[in-house]
Amino acid sequence: MITRRFAIQATAGLVATGPAFAADRVVKVGLDLSFTGADATDATRTANGGILAFEEANSGHEVPGIIFQLQKYDDGSATAGQYDPAQAATNARRMVSDRAIVAALGPQMSGAGKAMAPILSAGNLAIVTPVATNPDITDPKFAALYRPAGRAIFFRTVATDAYQGPNMANYLAQALKVNSVYVLDDSGAYGVGLADAFQKQAGRIGVRLLGRDRLDPKAADYAAVLTKIRSLDPQALYYGGVAQAAVKLAKQAYEIIPNVIKAGGDGVQSADLLAGAGFPAVEGWYATIAAAHVTGDPKLAAFSQRYLERFRLQPDDYAVTCYVGARVIIQAVKDLLAQHREITRDAMRDAIQGVQLPDSLLGPIAFDANGDLRNQVISVFQIRKDPTRPLDSPNDQYHYVGVAPAA
Amino acid sequence: MTTFDLFLQQVINGLSLGAMYALLALGFTLVYGILELINFSHFNVFMVGSFIALWTLQQFGLSGQETILVGLPLAGVLLAAFAVTMLATGAIGVGIERFLLRPLRNVKGPAAMITTIGVSYILFNLILLTVGADSKNFPNPLPPLAFAVGGAVLRLREVLIWIVATLLMLALTFFVQRTKLGKAMRATAQDPEAARMMGVEVDRVIMTAFFLGSALAGASGLIFGLYYNFTSYLIGFNAGLRGFTAAVLGGIGNVPGAMLGGVIIGLVEAIGGQLIGTAWADVIIFAILVLVLVFRPAGLLGRLAPDRS
Repeated sequence: MITRRFAIQATAGLVATGPAFAADRVVKVGLDLSFTGADATDATRTANGGILAFEEANSGHEVPGIIFQLQKYDDGSATAGQYDPAQAATNARRMVSDRAIVAALGPQMSGAGKAMAPILSAGNLAIVTPVATNPDITDPKFAALYRPAGRAIFFRTVATDAYQGPNMANYLAQALKVNSVYVLDDSGAYGVGLADAFQKQAGRIGVRLLGRDRLDPKAADYAAVLTKIRSLDPQALYYGGVAQAAVKLAKQAYEIIPNVIKAGGDGVQSADLLAGAGFPAVEGWYATIAAAHVTGDPKLAAFSQRYLERFRLQPDDYAVTCYVGARVIIQAVKDLLAQHREITRDAMRDAIQGVQLPDSLLGPIAFDANGDLRNQVISVFQIRKDPTRPLDSPNDQYHYVGVAPAA
Repeated sequence: MTTFDLFLQQVINGLSLGAMYALLALGFTLVYGILELINFSHFNVFMVGSFIALWTLQQFGLSGQETILVGLPLAGVLLAAFAVTMLATGAIGVGIERFLLRPLRNVKGPAAMITTIGVSYILFNLILLTVGADSKNFPNPLPPLAFAVGGAVLRLREVLIWIVATLLMLALTFFVQRTKLGKAMRATAQDPEAARMMGVEVDRVIMTAFFLGSALAGASGLIFGLYYNFTSYLIGFNAGLRGFTAAVLGGIGNVPGAMLGGVIIGLVEAIGGQLIGTAWADVIIFAILVLVLVFRPAGLLGRLAPDRS
């Protein structure tokens, strides 16, 4: 949703994060998410997590002499209707060419990440993604493609689909006793990778694969493929993809294959899905989050309260990962200052690589040599209608059902 | 589900798609038949129509999927929604013709066609900026009635779409064949100069073609919403392209051809997707179009366009 406030911020390009004093050094951080298109609502919720972290650091003078400034970039485009890899590449070039930017947050979409990573690698600019889960980007096998300059620059505060897909296959087989499945993806980098990873593990643990099809996210009609699925009668449908196709898939699947268990990754953990498809179509869908879902933690409750007061919006899990991603960058700056080192892109990359947050909102955070989390957890949620709460609020309608077992 | 039931189900799916494409194809064909102009703004007049329909239904207090109407209230709401949507999109079509295309009518070359592409993008971005980029939930006031046809399921929604589309197409055929203005349209399509000499008001005929075509696009937009229960600023391109393909396939400028083309494309999309894979549906549709154009350049039923010799 493009609100007036967002439009003004987007025009200005900058998000005010507090007054800068003459003596303060400004540390500029890029923030790239998909603010235009089918995932826009989720992008705003995610971005707010990062904005909150930097605002708090600025107003509390947490890092003496440093003011953080966020520069927003939008990798969604009107013609794509969702993230646009070409726009993401352009944004990466713009970040690299702005010498004041020393680190970045984002992107939301793995397809955008794949387009950005080589450019950021060449520019030696480290980025921390709070959402993008495609494993290829950090996989050393593809280092020539995504980090041609050699060192890891793509860090994540989320797990990857190398865990998200397979762990969900285990969950379906073990917890829900599924033994036959049909797999769909939305043709995007994230969706295809997630569906592939799911499919591989499903085969390994003996879940029968009845078919695999690809959806065009811009098409309106999935009745043909759903009718085919109905004729094959699988116990479960697994969808790898994001909201644009998911909205239509959920609506049509509800009518054509009402009794099939439906599951997806973090792409269907989405306010855009709740608003676009709505109840009863989304009822019962399983979704995952590529991060630990810490429940009953007083720190998290306090965070939710601050977030709600600041943005008049409930945070979702990726608001938390974005907050933690911003905390990683803030901690890296603190570490550099403690070592009396200059805050350069190069130094920031090394500092982010070495950051240790033993007690973050997601539990302990530390990165391996590729930029992935050392501790990868996949949380499973199910949509169950809570009529007493806002029907498009992910926090209220997705109910945590547990951790997906590791492969 | 047996193979035959599956086939039957895909035929039902395909006919519903086909009805929608046919209504869109008629808009392309009406304008092309008279002006030899491919009107690309039609793509997004259709999309705007689905939003006008959405707002109209919201005026009746319908928003989510939970309110279901029956009997007279249902008929009344649908009738009002069709009337408002079709009048509004018809007016948009007339406006586009009167203010943007008429000044260009005697300009040679592709200026008019490029203008329609521009208008299409203006409508597209207008909706994007005013209502946002996310898919909007479209109310579904129809009772969830379904009939078993063998092993296939036929929903009330599908029956309604077929009936409405057929009625609109019959009305259009009657208008073109039997009324004076319709006769004037056919005369203008055959030879605008001669028609003008015989006292046909060509401006009025062109405006009528834009009104009718755009009104049908509006009806198609409402049908789209009722069928899929969502709308978005993006829907114009895919459906519009198929509607346009349907018009060319049937023979552009040819009213029965547009209907036939729409139904064929709908069926190919559904059955081709079943047999080969949904991702290939577009490839199959456009391969058939290319083949037909290679062997029958005028389309299946032949082309009816002004004689510019």
